[in-house]
Amino acid sequence: MTRRGAAAACALALLAALALVAAAQVPRAHGRVVILEDGQFVLSDSRWPPGDDAPWRPVRLPDNWYFSHPAGATGAWYRLEFELGTGPFRNHMIYLPRNSARYMRFFVNGKSVSDNSAYGDPGARSNWAPPTIFQVSWLYLHPGRNVLHVRVEADPQLRQGLTRLTVGPADYVRPRYELHHTIQVTALLMFGAAAVLAGLLAAAFWLRERRDATLAWYAVTAFAWAGVAAPWAHGAFAPAQYAHGALAFLEWFAYAAPMLVLCLRVAGKRWPWFEGGLWLFTLLGLVLFALPGADEEGFVITTWSFVYLAALILLLVMLARSQIAGRRWLRWLFGAAIVLVAALNAHDLARWMGWIGYDSMTLAHFHIPLVLFAIGATIIDRHLRAVAAVERSNVELEERVAQKTHEIEAGFRRVQEAEQERALALQRKRIMADMHDGLGSTLVGLLGNVQSGKPSLEEVEQRLLDALQELRLVVDALEPMDGDLGVVLGNVRHRMRAAIEHSGVKLHWQVGELPHVSYLTPHAILAVQRIILEALTNSLRHSQANTVTVSAQAEDGWLRIQVADDGIGFKELNSSRGRGLDNLRRRASGLGGTLDIESARGAGASVILRLPLAH
Amino acid sequence: MSDAAKVTSVALVEDDGATRERLAASVRAQSSLELVAEYRNGAEALVGLSFRAPDVLLVDLGLPDMSGVELIRFAAERYPDCDILVISIFGDEANVLTALESGARGYLLKGSLQHDIAIDIREIRNGGSPLSPVIARQMLKRLRIRRREAAPDRAEEETMLTAREGEILNAISRGFSYAETAQMLGVSVGTVHSFLKRIYRKLAVHSKTEAVFEANRLGLIP
Repeated sequence: MTRRGAAAACALALLAALALVAAAQVPRAHGRVVILEDGQFVLSDSRWPPGDDAPWRPVRLPDNWYFSHPAGATGAWYRLEFELGTGPFRNHMIYLPRNSARYMRFFVNGKSVSDNSAYGDPGARSNWAPPTIFQVSWLYLHPGRNVLHVRVEADPQLRQGLTRLTVGPADYVRPRYELHHTIQVTALLMFGAAAVLAGLLAAAFWLRERRDATLAWYAVTAFAWAGVAAPWAHGAFAPAQYAHGALAFLEWFAYAAPMLVLCLRVAGKRWPWFEGGLWLFTLLGLVLFALPGADEEGFVITTWSFVYLAALILLLVMLARSQIAGRRWLRWLFGAAIVLVAALNAHDLARWMGWIGYDSMTLAHFHIPLVLFAIGATIIDRHLRAVAAVERSNVELEERVAQKTHEIEAGFRRVQEAEQERALALQRKRIMADMHDGLGSTLVGLLGNVQSGKPSLEEVEQRLLDALQELRLVVDALEPMDGDLGVVLGNVRHRMRAAIEHSGVKLHWQVGELPHVSYLTPHAILAVQRIILEALTNSLRHSQANTVTVSAQAEDGWLRIQVADDGIGFKELNSSRGRGLDNLRRRASGLGGTLDIESARGAGASVILRLPLAH
Repeated sequence: MSDAAKVTSVALVEDDGATRERLAASVRAQSSLELVAEYRNGAEALVGLSFRAPDVLLVDLGLPDMSGVELIRFAAERYPDCDILVISIFGDEANVLTALESGARGYLLKGSLQHDIAIDIREIRNGGSPLSPVIARQMLKRLRIRRREAAPDRAEEETMLTAREGEILNAISRGFSYAETAQMLGVSVGTVHSFLKRIYRKLAVHSKTEAVFEANRLGLIP
């Protein structure tokens, strides 16, 4: 299926090429159009048409000097006769399918009517020989027999000479000229413009994607071909005499070497020896062409054309094969391009070699758009596939990253959980120790009391309430306090609400907004609660005070918590009250803080706890 | 607000016989209180309440046949004039906050002195038992304070704290009594009580919307 499709594409391309070749042939004359084929010829340097006495000899057009004057000739005259009906005459036109000589001048009935100066040397030296046409006023024409003298100065090496001439009224001759002009000139201009555009696009693409050398070679090839498609530049810019040869060579072959390299690169091949040879070969042709004296030009054109064409077909075939694994339509495109390259270049080469009609026009430029399109499409296709591959790998990468992130997070969570477990175990241990010291010893003491003697019921109740209070403090210490010491203090007050009310002491509560404390673990909370509870209980039970003031504020990076009463004060610091305070001091230093007692007999007592904000 | 001469009717739901006896005795000892019913479980309570809803209902959270929270939620909705107190050993945050969210007004500590129970019940009739600082703090965390001055939407109105309510909870969380809080804010104690009632209501609504949200998330509500 694929192979048959490719074959069909090739056949179509071949048919199109053949149609072009056919169209390029000079149309047969009919009706009132006369095609001049038979005439007379004389070698002469005369600037005016020689008379009948000159050694005229018969000649048949087209006359390719490469074959008719292989030994060389510079100037000659042609005499061509044609019959016209009786008047009145209209203006006539004479049309040549190719501007085939360096210099041509036309005389009708002995009067100079035109020359080919507009297309003369150096344009005629290049491969590009556009059709030419000129008008002959009816005033110059006679009824019946007319004579056309053509002065020709030509270079046999460059296959110059004289094509057939078509004579007739303008409206019959002009359309033939227009057709050939379109094929030979307009198409060339269009393809040149297209090549410039393609080259600019490729260059812009390459500027963003420097790693892809095929883009650069594509741009170079397109620009070189645009240069070949602008042969008028040769005349327009009037280069120095010594540059004519080199320029003419470039007008023939400028795009050949870059296109061959491009084919190699697109096919993914790096053949340094081939590329080196190619550039050397091109340079050699350039030098041979540029040497003074144009003797080698014909040889260079012949040889280089064959070599380049063979190499191009070879590399295009290789390029097409390299796309076997690729897209089907690309293979068809290359198949068509190869056929077109082969057919069109073969046509031009055959004309050059004299194997087909001398009047045929050059057609090779018709292969350029297709070849540039095929190669450009390959490059774009490859880029798109690369982009798709990058996207695929990006997706894969993202998946892998997501998976990795997930694993890391899971690992982190495990570590965190383990850390939390450890912290919890530590907290549990500390709370157990606290309960052992507080609740445990309270209950053991009570048990001993009950066993040993006969404590009053009131005493037992009080001790049990104390134990319950202790247990509640432990439970409260497990509540989240969010580092807020104000809540801890408030909670102590809340728990002692009943005791405070029963005591009849007036409580002044001065707890402001306190800064965050970083180390408020259950253990620390319990310690603070015990200190404040103990200090407050002392004041309530033993100080005989009227008022107790609890205040807390931040002071120079410390928290200062004070329980002050206006009672009797401590008698001596080593009393039982004092010993209880020692216990509190130990707890305070366990928190990284200090506990101070200010007391004077009869002047009240103050317990001052200072705690750091952070450890 | 309260009429000193008026006797407050109290009902009790407690499965532990000894505790029930002790609480009943404490209530009976107060002349201002009248014990109208004792229930051993939730079912008895539901039936009993349908005959007569007391002024104050004391509920133990650990009932044999249903969770105390369920009973509280039912009673709080059905009998809005009945103040519900949870009976708790520790008055710990987890239990009390759940009870408050279900519609309870406060808690009663097991092992309190008889006198204290009278104080607690009196206070609840006046507007609610003293909120512990730890629980006030948790409420502040749960009910965010509304920042915008612009007219709030209905959901915000029902679940977010006003700046004033936030100040009250903040003062309570630092240990200030209702009277002190009222003085600090320049309002009457009655105003503080009515603010707290509003806060309790918001807490209940918030817990309900949270439950709905959670149920939605779990796909329990189609």
